[in-house]
Amino acid sequence: MSDNPYQDDRGNKDRSITNKGGSSLETVDQRFGNSKALINDPFLIGDAMTGGYGKGPDILHSCTIAAEKGEIAVIVGPNGAGKSTAMKAVFGMLNVNEGAVRLDGEDITHLTPQQRVVKGMGFVPQTSNIFTSMTVEENLEMGAFIRRDDFRDTMAQIYDLFPILKDKRNQAAGELSGGQRQQVAVGRALMTQPKVLMLDEPTAGVSPIVMDELFDRIIEVARTGIPILMVEQNARQALEIADKAYVLVQGRNAHTGTGKELLADPEVRRSFLGG
Amino acid sequence: MDILNALVALANFVIVPGLAYGAQLAIGALGVTLIYGILRFSNFAHGDTMAFGTAMTIIATNMLLAIGITFGPLPTALLALPFGIGMTILLVLGIDWLVYKFYRDQKAKPVILVIVSMGVMFVMNGVVRFIIGVNDIRFADGERFIITARDFKTMTGLNEGLAIKTTQAITVVVAVIVVAILFWFLNKTRTGKSMRAFSDNEDLALLSGINPDWVVKVTWMIVAALATTAGVLYGLDKSFKAFTYFQLLLPIFAAAIVGGLGNPIGAIAGGFVIAFSEVTITYAWKKVLVYLMPESLEPDGLVQLLSTDYKFAVSFAILIIVLLFKPTGLFKGQSV
Repeated sequence: MSDNPYQDDRGNKDRSITNKGGSSLETVDQRFGNSKALINDPFLIGDAMTGGYGKGPDILHSCTIAAEKGEIAVIVGPNGAGKSTAMKAVFGMLNVNEGAVRLDGEDITHLTPQQRVVKGMGFVPQTSNIFTSMTVEENLEMGAFIRRDDFRDTMAQIYDLFPILKDKRNQAAGELSGGQRQQVAVGRALMTQPKVLMLDEPTAGVSPIVMDELFDRIIEVARTGIPILMVEQNARQALEIADKAYVLVQGRNAHTGTGKELLADPEVRRSFLGG
Repeated sequence: MDILNALVALANFVIVPGLAYGAQLAIGALGVTLIYGILRFSNFAHGDTMAFGTAMTIIATNMLLAIGITFGPLPTALLALPFGIGMTILLVLGIDWLVYKFYRDQKAKPVILVIVSMGVMFVMNGVVRFIIGVNDIRFADGERFIITARDFKTMTGLNEGLAIKTTQAITVVVAVIVVAILFWFLNKTRTGKSMRAFSDNEDLALLSGINPDWVVKVTWMIVAALATTAGVLYGLDKSFKAFTYFQLLLPIFAAAIVGGLGNPIGAIAGGFVIAFSEVTITYAWKKVLVYLMPESLEPDGLVQLLSTDYKFAVSFAILIIVLLFKPTGLFKGQSV
């Protein structure tokens, strides 16, 4: 990233969030829309992905991540295991050299992140995930920017889901507490009525009480039928609410199973959960 | 009576000129602050953009006058203003396409863009002089005064007169209208909100589907309109001279930075802070003090803190003080 002498690191310090072709939103390339729907394919799947940032070395090695409808899938693992990288690969923020990403049976491997948003993926980055100088309501409006229809119903649903946001709708989002900011961030991503929601460490930096509340909210979102794929540091809590869990080690799938299975797995317990 | 005379003298020499000058600086600073907030660089070519817009407006004014169209008691330049704005929009969009777009695609650091804008500044500097010349040009016509000092004296019977020039009143009225429209646009319209979102967090804005090319285009168009308006108002109030407009860059930047770069409200407040500091520090206070002080204490000198030749020192000093003690400006802005 830093080998370009002109480069500036603004925004959320993660240029890959907008990967190549930043402004080509209107021209969603239909070539990749070949619908070779596979039977029994999960709703969203990053299938045997191998890849890394830019021209750098591969970080992921034949890594598979999937989320089914109505389920919560979590990615856990030690530091530097490539958890966030795996999710970013699913969202198109880095180059997948081998393998494929499919949404609802459609190959989206070569779409930019913005095009994936149009295709129905909602993404909540880990940091700088709200417009701090704008009000809560304006944040939600910006989330719905690609929608030309009336989105007041969606906004009302989000206020039902996060009642605190309704009280603070005219307050600048930057003035809210950490947990409330995360709710704004999730709400913003939900405004497009995504078919799948991806959360990058939603509980990073919030207190344990707020963390529990956030998990409750995330479960509620999942109950509305939206599959959720999230990366979590707090492995134990995450596994407790997970329908499907992926333990990554050094960019590879180490363990896969339901949350309960992995919680009960002695090896997973020993290596990641502290006994 | 003495106090009233003092107040009238103060209004005549400080408050009224300060308000007009402050409004001109505020509109100029709004353009600088919008560029900084959305395109993220300090646009050194802003003074010359103002000069170009004003030059175009002067040419259109002369054409209107040549075919016998005037605006009655108001300056004809106001009729020519839309033409000036249109030409300036074409110019800045052309420059953006030719120059800035390349660096934006490279995701160039702001400091590189600042230097690039200085290059653009020198080119525009030459272009404007080439088109309109280097001389002082007065292009205000119509009624010169709303109220003259003599009328005021006979009306009130006071020793001091209060003169209000038509151009001063127009400046303030136009500034209020411009600011109201700008804030309505930024806070209420879809495009305006997307501009603020883009300024706040570019990556998240892109992720939300905001088209950066459109945001940049609209920003340049608004900035061209603001720069031309500010330039024409300043030129009507004083006079047009290419070099003066280049020098205006300093008070305008001082205003934008004092208020907080990237913050439109700050730009307006900063404009008035700079204007009133300049006017009060370079004003000879003797006239006011004579009325307020007992005869024995009457000042001998002019009680002028700085000669008007040094007025740029005032904005420069304020700029440095703000950068030292409050780099984000009086209002929440980005630090430089």
